[in-house]
Amino acid sequence: MSGAALRRNGLGFLGLTLAALAVLAALAAPVLAPHDPVKADLSQGLKPPGSPGHPLGTDQLGRDTLSRVLYGARVALFIGLCTVLLTAIVGGILGLLAGFFGGWPGQALMRLCDVQLSFPFILLALTINAIVGLGLRNISISLAAAGWVADARVVRGEVLSVKQRDYVQAAAALGTGRARILFRHVLPNVAPSIIIVASLQFSQFIVAEAAISFLGFGVQPPTPAWGSMLSESRDFLYIAWWLAAFPGAALALTALGVNLVGDWLRDVLDPKFRV
Amino acid sequence: MRAYLLSRLAQTALVVFLSLTAVFFLVRLSGDPVLLFLPMDIQAKDVNEFRQRLGFNDPLPVQYARFVSGAVRGDFGESLRYRRDALRLVLERLPATLELGVTALLLTFCLAIPVGIFSATRRGSLFDYVGMGAAVLGQAIPGFWLGLMLIYFFSVRLGWLPTGGIGGPAHFVMPCVVLASFYAARIARLTRSSVLDTLNEEYVLTARAKGLAEWIVIGKHTLKNSAIPIVTLAGLETGQLLGGAVITETIFAWPGLGRLTVQALQNRDFPVVLAAVFVISVTYTLINLAVDLLYGWLDPRTRREVAV
Repeated sequence: MSGAALRRNGLGFLGLTLAALAVLAALAAPVLAPHDPVKADLSQGLKPPGSPGHPLGTDQLGRDTLSRVLYGARVALFIGLCTVLLTAIVGGILGLLAGFFGGWPGQALMRLCDVQLSFPFILLALTINAIVGLGLRNISISLAAAGWVADARVVRGEVLSVKQRDYVQAAAALGTGRARILFRHVLPNVAPSIIIVASLQFSQFIVAEAAISFLGFGVQPPTPAWGSMLSESRDFLYIAWWLAAFPGAALALTALGVNLVGDWLRDVLDPKFRV
Repeated sequence: MRAYLLSRLAQTALVVFLSLTAVFFLVRLSGDPVLLFLPMDIQAKDVNEFRQRLGFNDPLPVQYARFVSGAVRGDFGESLRYRRDALRLVLERLPATLELGVTALLLTFCLAIPVGIFSATRRGSLFDYVGMGAAVLGQAIPGFWLGLMLIYFFSVRLGWLPTGGIGGPAHFVMPCVVLASFYAARIARLTRSSVLDTLNEEYVLTARAKGLAEWIVIGKHTLKNSAIPIVTLAGLETGQLLGGAVITETIFAWPGLGRLTVQALQNRDFPVVLAAVFVISVTYTLINLAVDLLYGWLDPRTRREVAV
């Protein structure tokens, strides 16, 4: 194995470890968390890290920071997963149809993508979220509505190129039905690109959700989401650094892990995309 | 060339028009738009009065026609909060955002491109590992968290820099670093891979075989040819800086367009939101147009495609 391949696999392993830790935190939060993440205890307010029973300290209402960070992983990964599935399905189907059948609907769809891409992603998701409303479900819908374009474009491009390959031409020449060509020959060859885009979008969605919650939209308190925890921490930055440090570190490490896994998947599945 | 420019400008106008239309209908699809335009704690009879005054009792096509005819003249109505022309309010905030954006962009290029080039030419060296490690980290660290941590260290603990607001050069430091961090990371990584690709080209081999000095091989034969993917990404990212500005400006209380937009969304001040959407999409598409024109200069091979 060459040095570069080793380094890539090493980074992939680091990414998998970080991502696995985030998944573990999310799944095992009820077991791992020492306290109820939303239960306030004003007598325990603003304890620094290392206080008895509160290894990462407490917030202004006496809620345990460690428990809230662990439960925050649930919210982040849940939203990330739902949004990625939603964008992959919606964007994938639209891109598949636009690429396979072409014609004016395909053209119209691509123009729509152009329009949507003429607006910064985070601002689009924020605007949609402010209009459709707050909460877990709506933030997922808002992010998906802003993010499906990437899937649709990549899938359409792939379909256009796969359509020209010999095996598809041969299947068509043999009189194979269009539906069969689409599902048996085109879709399996497009699937790796969908997986790559989805893995690269996953961390984008997690960070965007946190940013939108940070701005006061998206997930609302008292739900322990990293973004809204950071938002609340701003008022206490002078006296309680840990309220900003830990949720943000959890978010950054999760994003790093998912990014590295995404880079690694891209290298493994499609050398064409290799950076 | 002129025909191309005209068609691109027409496309820009179409894009701006469609995005405004989308926001217009989104606001109306989401239920009673009056409730979006008004504070949450308003009385029922006031709601009706407002609905009449803002023209929401008219049929939808009439409302849309009024909106379009206003938008064409740059009239998005009056800010519900500031009682002033919405577009003027947005345009007043634009310079602060551009100032911050341009400074962050310069910082990005001054940092990311040299790091990318050195990492590529000294591939596998310590510099390469440290530089690319920092880039991977920079991509993962969310800007708003970086901002909070910088404020904690440099304002709260050390007292070196102001926590926010606009003023002297010191006010620029933290917002620029936060805004630049993510883009610098991506551009550094792309510069590295693009330079590495170019170094494998035959004309670089030829230049080396001719016995040219290494700095000429890199400076003259490699860099201009590596520039196209970098300019593409830089162009896309320059537009995204407008999105990043939303968060950075909010953290550092920077009186720009991004902060105004967030406040308008929070206050349900939709005339301002519409005006902001208009200004942002115009700015964004103009930046992309400028980037496309740059290609022709960088790579004459693309000029023919452009002309078609």
